[in-house]
Amino acid sequence: MTPQSAEATKTSKSVAKQTVLKMEHVTKRFGGLVAVSDFNLDLKEGELIGLIGPNGAGKTTIFNLITHVIRITEGKMEFYGKDITNLTTDRIIRLGIARTFQNIRLFSNMTVRENILTAFHAHLKSDLFTAVAFLPKYKNEEEYFQQKTLELMKEVGIEHLADNISSSLPYGLQRKLEIARALATNPKLLLLDEPAAGMNPDETLELNQLILRIRDKYKLTVIVIEHDMKVIMNICERIVVLDHGVTIAQGTPIEIQQNPLVIKAYLGAGDEDA
Amino acid sequence: MKRRTKILLSLILIIAIYVFVYFSELYMDPFIKRILNTGLIYAILGVSLNLINGFTGQFSLGHAGFMAIGAYASALLYMSPETKMSNFFMVPLISPLDRIQIPFFWAIIVGGLMAAVAGFIVGAPCLRVRGDYLAIVTYGFSEIIRSLFNNLQNITNGPLGLKGLPTYTNLWWTVSWTIITVIVIKRIVDSSYGRALKAIRDDEIAAENLGINLFKHKVLAFVVGSFFAGIAGGLLGSLLMTIDPNSFSILFTYQIIMIILLGGLGNITGSVVVGIGFAFLMEWLRFVEMPMNIFGIEFPGILGMRMLIFSILLMVTILFFRQGIFGKVEFSWEGVARLFQKKKVKE
Repeated sequence: MTPQSAEATKTSKSVAKQTVLKMEHVTKRFGGLVAVSDFNLDLKEGELIGLIGPNGAGKTTIFNLITHVIRITEGKMEFYGKDITNLTTDRIIRLGIARTFQNIRLFSNMTVRENILTAFHAHLKSDLFTAVAFLPKYKNEEEYFQQKTLELMKEVGIEHLADNISSSLPYGLQRKLEIARALATNPKLLLLDEPAAGMNPDETLELNQLILRIRDKYKLTVIVIEHDMKVIMNICERIVVLDHGVTIAQGTPIEIQQNPLVIKAYLGAGDEDA
Repeated sequence: MKRRTKILLSLILIIAIYVFVYFSELYMDPFIKRILNTGLIYAILGVSLNLINGFTGQFSLGHAGFMAIGAYASALLYMSPETKMSNFFMVPLISPLDRIQIPFFWAIIVGGLMAAVAGFIVGAPCLRVRGDYLAIVTYGFSEIIRSLFNNLQNITNGPLGLKGLPTYTNLWWTVSWTIITVIVIKRIVDSSYGRALKAIRDDEIAAENLGINLFKHKVLAFVVGSFFAGIAGGLLGSLLMTIDPNSFSILFTYQIIMIILLGGLGNITGSVVVGIGFAFLMEWLRFVEMPMNIFGIEFPGILGMRMLIFSILLMVTILFFRQGIFGKVEFSWEGVARLFQKKKVKE
């Protein structure tokens, strides 16, 4: 199990690629249940990796651990060399990690524009007084946010819906809005939790292109959780497979497709079926 | 519409309001004036509670407690030493409060600041709980304040209350503070901070995952909200000329909650209009508490019948106008302009 070596040869052109996220022996227990056990990850800058596994494998738990929505039981996490194991969620996000949610979490009473604008708040430099008095400093920031919001809406193709209430959007566009909102926090690492869920094949294809495009444009490192293999196999350079919280395989899409352990986890063991 | 035009129109409106205040102070019936003052204080309370309950989505039942702090803190500062002497005949007032007297304006400000400090002290620990639990904790807080004030005889004069407060509150004060409250809270709500507060209301987890510090923003809403509650408390004390701890009971908080529910959660216009309307309705509905003669049958007057009518009103609102009477319609100059344009088309 040394996918790192394979990875190293693959990106040998730029040897000095920085480690974005390093997770060492990360374990999460809910009472007696081990949701994630001894999870290790070494993510290099610009990588796009897939996190797959059957339902309940602990994929989303790993996202929740990275952004500290739930507390880590054991292990250590570093983001660009900085220990983030015990930081609060909002601090971690401000360091440059953004995520989307499996069950879309938009601010349903706000318009599309407001949803994205809200995401800029974490980087607002003006204090409350400056904002309330509408002083030039705040005015400039607000104008910058408005302009950036428009850019992001164009990026994912929802600018014509800017003033619609977010919950009125069709499902696929809500997913895109969530990605745009995540991008607004100016992340270095983007965590996408089942971005293709509920999309039709055309939309999925479009999503693939969107993910690749934003990765290059915003110089992102991306982790994707997905059940749709059309996404995972087409865009991911490396795949990590989880089953019951245990990492059972790591490697390129082709390696994973042929891995007997993965096939067993997804389809069950042959003798059991017989 | 341009920003500058809107500011200009708002300034004209404010000047018009002050002209109205000038003539009201001279010619208006004192009884109506008093109701209007009360109504404006309700409006301040409604708008400030709306920041906490309506915009940030933190269901607080502690507003009467913050008001009580504001009312007592300011009253103890603007009362003259002689009035204090005559009030505290059981247990003397502690030094140096028994000697100092400061102008009304500063006393009100100090009252507001004290309430804001209380808002912070209460807010900080109890914001770790959510929803119903927060409501219970804040309710507990306002009850603690009430029982503290009932027992701190050497500061608050206990259940005897403070009497003979000088009447400084007039329309100038109440109108000015209402305008300040509305402008400040409207600006907060419309700024990036307001978006963060609304984000917390809509989805806490999503807000946190956008890097919004939940704790900081909830405390912010509590501190600003309780500051204005303290101001309103100070104004009310001087208007009623007498305060005692039991007048700031949970019933008072219910009235304010009724105002913001009727006006619409997260609707500033609604809170102001319903706040003022509430005060007038309260007076007008006094007749239902009088002994009545219906179809020849004598009904004795029942105290509290007014509240029954308000309860029915509230139930009707909740059942049929879930978003309050005003819903999401806020006062805006664009809206006014549209209204005029429509009329022109009809002509």
